[in-house]
Amino acid sequence: MHTNKLSRAARIEQNWGWFMVAPTIIGLLVLNVWPFIQTIYASFCEHLGFGHYKFIGLGNYVNMFQNAEFWKATGNTLIFCVLTVPVGIFLSLLVAVMLNAKVKFKGGFRTIFFLPMVCAPAAVTMVWRWIFNADYGVLNQIFGTHVKWITDPNVALISCAIVAIWSSIGYDAVLLLSGLQNISKSYYEAASIDGASKITQFFKITLPMVSPTLFVTMIMRLMASIKVYDLIYMMVEETNPALTNVQSLIYLFYRESFVAGSRGSGSAIAVWTVLIIGIATLFQFWGQKKWVNYEI
Amino acid sequence: MKRRFPRMIAAALALMLLLSVTGCGSPDGKTHLTFQIWDIAQRDGMQAMCDAYTAQHPDVVIEVQVTSWSEYWTKLEAAAESNTMPDIYWMHTDQILYYADFGILADLTDLYDAEDPNFYADHYSEISLSNASGTDGKLYGVPKDKDNVLLVYNKEMFDTAGVAYPDESWTWDDMEAASAQIYQKTGKYGYMAYSDEQLGYWNFVYQNGGYILDENNVYAGYTQPATAEAIKYYVGLQQNEWCPNQAYFAETTPGTAFFSEQGAMFLEGNWNLLNELKNYPEMVGKWDIAVLPKCPNPASGDGRATISNGLCYSTAARGKNLEVVKDVLRFFGSEEGQRIQGESGAAIPAYNGLEDTWSTVFQQFDYMIDVQKCYDQFDYVVQYINNATRRKWKSTVADEMVRIYNGADIDQSLAHMQEIADSYVESAS
Repeated sequence: MHTNKLSRAARIEQNWGWFMVAPTIIGLLVLNVWPFIQTIYASFCEHLGFGHYKFIGLGNYVNMFQNAEFWKATGNTLIFCVLTVPVGIFLSLLVAVMLNAKVKFKGGFRTIFFLPMVCAPAAVTMVWRWIFNADYGVLNQIFGTHVKWITDPNVALISCAIVAIWSSIGYDAVLLLSGLQNISKSYYEAASIDGASKITQFFKITLPMVSPTLFVTMIMRLMASIKVYDLIYMMVEETNPALTNVQSLIYLFYRESFVAGSRGSGSAIAVWTVLIIGIATLFQFWGQKKWVNYEI
Repeated sequence: MKRRFPRMIAAALALMLLLSVTGCGSPDGKTHLTFQIWDIAQRDGMQAMCDAYTAQHPDVVIEVQVTSWSEYWTKLEAAAESNTMPDIYWMHTDQILYYADFGILADLTDLYDAEDPNFYADHYSEISLSNASGTDGKLYGVPKDKDNVLLVYNKEMFDTAGVAYPDESWTWDDMEAASAQIYQKTGKYGYMAYSDEQLGYWNFVYQNGGYILDENNVYAGYTQPATAEAIKYYVGLQQNEWCPNQAYFAETTPGTAFFSEQGAMFLEGNWNLLNELKNYPEMVGKWDIAVLPKCPNPASGDGRATISNGLCYSTAARGKNLEVVKDVLRFFGSEEGQRIQGESGAAIPAYNGLEDTWSTVFQQFDYMIDVQKCYDQFDYVVQYINNATRRKWKSTVADEMVRIYNGADIDQSLAHMQEIADSYVESAS
């Protein structure tokens, strides 16, 4: 009788637990897991229209792997990641370290760096397009150059990367800042008594101590870069000469699924993208053992 | 207490659910209809039309909803899948075959049979009706409006360069000569030939006697000699120093360039004119419109053509209020409904003979642009190009056009466009 009563209390407790996490779990199941399963199924189907699918096996994948556009888009996406992730993370860390130092108007600076995150991506891209405009843009006016930032096939992807880095620095820096603030001051005091320079302190204390946060930031940034879409979509329209050189996987997915209406082949691209993200994340988790420090 | 709490929440939730269900019914006993459109500039015109209907039918309430073009089709398709479509919605030529052929849209062929079996044929052009038809030839929409493509020109630049304004006698050659003259005298661009279908090369193709789709709307005509010749001519215009190249247009649309006085001419759809007059008040009086220059030596025909498109009002085949909606649509397609649309300035009514009701709205400006030119062009309009498979090959053609502008071999690209477009014909049959 006694144990029964206890277990009943525990059961109520447990039910409450489920009740509390239910909104998140239901949301995840309905909005993420189920659509993902449907996407995998759709990738083996031909979309007949209005949600009707016909199973066709591997057809979409065979077509996809034979499509030059697709490989080009995969290449573009990977180049975009190489361009944005290392530079973005490096600059974010730099900004975070500087914002952590004793400077005047620290709050003001933090706000300014975080601002791009608050702005609507569409508006941000619009302004950048004005800045980049080859004939009338501010950038070329200042430097007296005539670089076709958005329309030169060799430059356009770099321009997109610049905007992506600019928009992400603030958010990443705030994350890293929180990591930096958890580092106890006593380490630095001890190090300076021992005569370590600021640079040595950074590499021997700051970097190892902030590495868990850095790892999380890197994973998130890489995922975001592989999934890049809105920025490129806004920057580069369908008549832009540089289109095929900047088209990312998700951009291609959008054109397949929503412009051409072939949701089956679009889904195949989505599954491929998830695969790339999975492999990249796996590698990162494997690599972290070599450099991430969890002992504080 | 602790255990009663979840029950209270459950009761509250159930109550809310109950309320939301009853909320759908109409406590006022009227029929509530929704009317979905994508152009905010036409909201007032559509509202005026609805108001005129509800004034005669006080038991009906129509709510006009605007969704931006970019979201419109994603939403509408999702609504079609879940059978929650708005009661009335605009349908575009690009999409109607997809919806109609799938059985989503209600057949409106016999909408006017009770009053006049020949109503459609008597009051609407073949092109208007064709734009509202499915592949099976039945009507799946009530024609709403019609448009065409015009030449917009900067009067000041023509004056400065000492060139006569474009008129009906103008050919492609005159347009080139004027462009060269303007560029030489003012340093501004002449005719701005940007990569576009409806507002670009399609017009030139049909003026030259070529075609994008054959007369049965089945096979593509990209490699047909007259078509290829016109596309080459159009793309080649960018080689002239008086025409910006595609890199320029990708950043600065011809409209932006024109209204910031960087170029003298470009092709524009009549549906944009009103907005341009409103958005660039300092430019009012400095520009006007003309008919499209004709092809001087067409492979066939008289060298005249302009692409004409038109929207229609559609409703779902499985709609809950189908009978009421049909009555509203009957009004939208009637002379009275079309007149209200025209006079509100929303668009040129598809209803024959009411074209010039659209002029009224242009009288508010200090300078009256020559809208008569637009009506004149309806004598030789070509229907907007579309068939059931076009949505599948549209992107491929767009990609090939980019390649052509990047200097790819044009014959090879056209052959590829042809091959892709025709490949869907084979797979469909």
